[in-house]
Amino acid sequence: MVDVPIPETTRIRVEGPWIVRLRRFAEITRRVLRNPTTLAGLLIIVALLSLAILAPVLTEPNVPDPYQMPRDWGARDAPPGTPGHPLGTTSTGGDVFYGVLWGARTSLQLSVIVVGITVTVGTIVGSLAGFIGGKLDEILMRTVDILLAIPELIFALAIAAVLGPSFGNIIFALSVVFWVKYARIIRGQIIHVKQNEYVDAARVIGDSKLKIYLKDVLPNSITPVIVQATMDMGGIVLTAATLSFIGLSEAGLAEWGVLVSDGQAGISAGKWWASTFPGLMVFLWALGFNLVGDGMRDVLDPRTESR
Amino acid sequence: MTTMTPDVTDSTRAGAPVMTLRNVQKYFPIKEGALQRVVGHVRAVDGVSLDIHRGETVGLVGESGCGKTTLGRCISGLTDPTAGGIYFRLSTEDRARLDSLLDTPPEQLSAEDKAFIDRIDRAHRIDRMSPEQRRIYRRNCQVVFQDAFSSLNPRQLVKDIVARPLRVYREASGHELTERTVALLESVGLGRQHLYRYPHQFSGGQRQRISIARALALDPEFIVLDEPTSALDVSVQAQILNLLHELQRERGLTYLFISHDLGVVRLMADRIAVMYLGEVVEQGTVEDIFERPLHPYTEALLAANPDINAAPGESMRGLEGNVPDPANPPQGCRFHTRCPVATPICGWEVDDAVQWLTDQARLFDTLTAVERLSEFDATLVFEDEESAAEVAGRLTAGAVPPPMAAATEAVEPQGQRVRIRMRPVERVELEDLGGSHLTSCVLYTSRRRDVDPGYTTKLTAE
Amino acid sequence: MTASAPTPPQVTLDPAPRVAAVEDLRVYFQTKAGLVHAVDGVSFDIRDREVLGLVGETGSGKSVTARSFLRLIQTPPGIYAGGSISFWSREARDTGAEPIDLLEIPDSEMLDVRGDRIAMIFQDPGKALNPALTIREQIAEVFYQHRSAELLDGLDEERSWIIRRAARQQSRALERFLLKLPPLRSKAAKLRRRVDEHVAAALAETQIPNPKKIMASYPHELSGGMKQRVMIAQALACNPDLLIADEPTTALDVTIQAKILELIRQLQEAHQTAVLYISHDLSLVRQICDRVAVMYAGRIAETGDTEVIFGDPLHPYTRGLMAAVPSAAHKRGELTAIEGAVPELVSPPPSCRFHTRCPFATEVCATIDPALVETNETGHRVACHIYGLPPGAVGEGPMPSFERRTR
Repeated sequence: MVDVPIPETTRIRVEGPWIVRLRRFAEITRRVLRNPTTLAGLLIIVALLSLAILAPVLTEPNVPDPYQMPRDWGARDAPPGTPGHPLGTTSTGGDVFYGVLWGARTSLQLSVIVVGITVTVGTIVGSLAGFIGGKLDEILMRTVDILLAIPELIFALAIAAVLGPSFGNIIFALSVVFWVKYARIIRGQIIHVKQNEYVDAARVIGDSKLKIYLKDVLPNSITPVIVQATMDMGGIVLTAATLSFIGLSEAGLAEWGVLVSDGQAGISAGKWWASTFPGLMVFLWALGFNLVGDGMRDVLDPRTESR
Repeated sequence: MTTMTPDVTDSTRAGAPVMTLRNVQKYFPIKEGALQRVVGHVRAVDGVSLDIHRGETVGLVGESGCGKTTLGRCISGLTDPTAGGIYFRLSTEDRARLDSLLDTPPEQLSAEDKAFIDRIDRAHRIDRMSPEQRRIYRRNCQVVFQDAFSSLNPRQLVKDIVARPLRVYREASGHELTERTVALLESVGLGRQHLYRYPHQFSGGQRQRISIARALALDPEFIVLDEPTSALDVSVQAQILNLLHELQRERGLTYLFISHDLGVVRLMADRIAVMYLGEVVEQGTVEDIFERPLHPYTEALLAANPDINAAPGESMRGLEGNVPDPANPPQGCRFHTRCPVATPICGWEVDDAVQWLTDQARLFDTLTAVERLSEFDATLVFEDEESAAEVAGRLTAGAVPPPMAAATEAVEPQGQRVRIRMRPVERVELEDLGGSHLTSCVLYTSRRRDVDPGYTTKLTAE
Repeated sequence: MTASAPTPPQVTLDPAPRVAAVEDLRVYFQTKAGLVHAVDGVSFDIRDREVLGLVGETGSGKSVTARSFLRLIQTPPGIYAGGSISFWSREARDTGAEPIDLLEIPDSEMLDVRGDRIAMIFQDPGKALNPALTIREQIAEVFYQHRSAELLDGLDEERSWIIRRAARQQSRALERFLLKLPPLRSKAAKLRRRVDEHVAAALAETQIPNPKKIMASYPHELSGGMKQRVMIAQALACNPDLLIADEPTTALDVTIQAKILELIRQLQEAHQTAVLYISHDLSLVRQICDRVAVMYAGRIAETGDTEVIFGDPLHPYTRGLMAAVPSAAHKRGELTAIEGAVPELVSPPPSCRFHTRCPFATEVCATIDPALVETNETGHRVACHIYGLPPGAVGEGPMPSFERRTR
């Protein structure tokens, strides 16, 4: 911390900006790895993503649509360990192992698409409201208030039900519902960050509003959004599984919610596997992203870094 | 380095005006209720006129809430004044003509005069300037903020922070940009080794140096220093003050030094303006203000300021009462409510009587309403006749400050009601007492002859 | 100049008895960077009826020292790593009883000491007062907590256990309901009036006009100076033996500051309380304190009577600090500054903490801790090798002056 000006005769070793940024990245990584819960969450996510990526290798993709469950009508309700069906089959002969793996792919696509759309829309709306303010802020935020007054699940359910059962409609319904809270988070952050003197300093320099927003306001406001988005990566899969479970997705899709729904009838008959494995996957997926999201909060704050 | 237009050549002369403020006001609306209806205004800055000349340091002193920071923000273009003009590089000739025109009622202005005002506004008035002029003004007026922790973007490297002005004006890029940034850092006592670090890796004093380097990047003419050292420790403050002085000498900078610390201002400023509740109450050279203060508020500030060289018990006298509400400032001289040498013509109003009542526990509880006709004429309504009678009695019998009693023209009890009428007063104005020493205190200005001699002798006796 | 043992014995010739004695106090903080020695071997004592000033800059450890008296440091990350703070209450002094060690007593006993025997006022009265409670409720709290017996004294309702519990603020929901009903209602009202009287008296003492009106207000309705008066009223309500004032006027304007200091000084004399006054402002300390201890980087650099310290400062840090305060004597640009900044206190090696910034530092200073030694003046102690080592160990001759200018 003590940096007494060094005499010019001293050789000064200057580190370039990329080394500094790299070191900061390394520091962040080191801190992630040092926190046991974040690390556990990260391991879970890595494992699930590996499953998703390796799904075509570990299983024979169904033709023509690999996202449809393959049906083995000869082996219905087969218990785990059955040759060819390591995790058993459903009452309609769907291979649970296949469903678990390709369900991970479905979930990955789903959460990336929905989080991508909602974060973008939410950030734009929240930024307009918070950064420009005034009447625009009033209009946008009252709209957000109205949308927030409707319970998320019921709202998504209503939209999906109106549009008819299809997985694409679930993605659409979730996107419509989830952007609202990002808008609210980012607006609050921006209003807070806007008051910092470095924003005034940038105005005194004469930088444009857009540049001030991109350089000063947004980077300092985005952390809670990233944290929330990480947690929502898990939460969205959970909500989508719920919607699928109650039948708002097309039947036969390799999706965990659909599988749980298919298998639940058999639970009372002792055929536990068809619901349990996909259910466990949903649980792990949500848990992994929640743990990481929680850990990101401290890691992303530049002020908490050790000097 | 800067593109000169015919209008601004004058300012390159030493001593030419850099900033000229005329009757600057900044009001902030107070909003209430769901509809955000405006119910009043906080008068943060209320009619300030000031000249800042090339190469000098003007100190702006006052307590929290006096409007000094708001005035600084108006001058640096961060917020537009509600009324009044802030002119950049107005020549002395133009200034003289403008002053005479501003004194003339608008309806008496000729078309030629109006054209002149319009031309001056386009060329010099910072909130009405043409975009080219605005650019020149923007480059030449920079700010160093009080809080070195919030004035640097925590996610930018020092190089990006200091080089940013150069990038915005496309002054340099690539290797040249780096070298000029290093030169800037070196001019504030930092160096090449600090280029690629984040602000949080620096101590408070170093961060303030980074802020100063950023302000210097465009080689400005004028810098607003808004409490630049009040967040620092004394030993570090001394480093920064020395640095600021050296930079001023080397680069011929003009400073507006805003501070609540009289010791610091005394050291750094050539001229000082003392603010109280949105107004400048006294203005003069450092010697004038510190050796021959001509306003009781300045005297009070000096008396309250702890002096390290003073023996215990020698210094530090405080002021009674609180700073009044800037949304509803006192009439006349705004300092009269706390002034130890107030006179009957200082602006006593009905609110002062009500304020006096709030300190009288028993009587205040019985006050139910105040019906105002004006600031100087109102009826107080009490729960019972006895209280009304007692208040009337005490208001006339000298329980209140003598100048307030003297300013009271009539106290008329009628049952539960007491009507109070005070002698109306006008607003006090700054007056030049010679040698550019300005004060608004009626004890020294031309209104001195209106003051009861009893009060002026009391002052000289002290 | 007498060189004595590393920690000088705490015997004083002064007849005034001690209220508190801090001995070799060490408070560390566990941080990501390592163990920060925020307070590292601090010893001083506070005598009866004196105002002791603890001066230092940011990071000197002055506030941590003060907070340790009431164990207000959060642990973890804080660690009370050693030393003791002995405290003699008035009774203890009168009866000649042993002092209590504030770092050792159980939490329950500490609760009795806080606000009763030792009170504290803080820098920011806006944050120290609870915004959801009226001023009356906040000050009444102190009386309920520490003066329940006094509140009941002379009330014939003393016998009622519900009232007794009400006076200690221990009423349960049912009792609070019963207190609103006829048989107890009048008694509760009596108690309430008694509390109001106490609160009003406490406020009146701080020269607050119309205390009744202030009692009904919430903190946000009061100005900064008024809030600080309320804090002082609350602190002195129980007539404490020691008042700790942690930068009580830093957040206030100068004209208000002068009034508050005057008030503290007056009340200190009236209550015959000892005051530990924490400040970064040397000029203030000179005005209000009888004795001064100058802290730097977790250590005491110099201590002695105010006039001695200000008249003849010995430690290079004290001298540098005084020279850095702008005054009428300074010329612009020639302010004497102390180079550099306070060092990081992560596991510091044995050395004078000031040696990195000291213009007179020699090799000794970087390797050996200077002890706080008595100078030829009674009670004036300084921790600097220039005075502590035998002649010849460091440069001889008169001490060089702070001529070096910095930018």
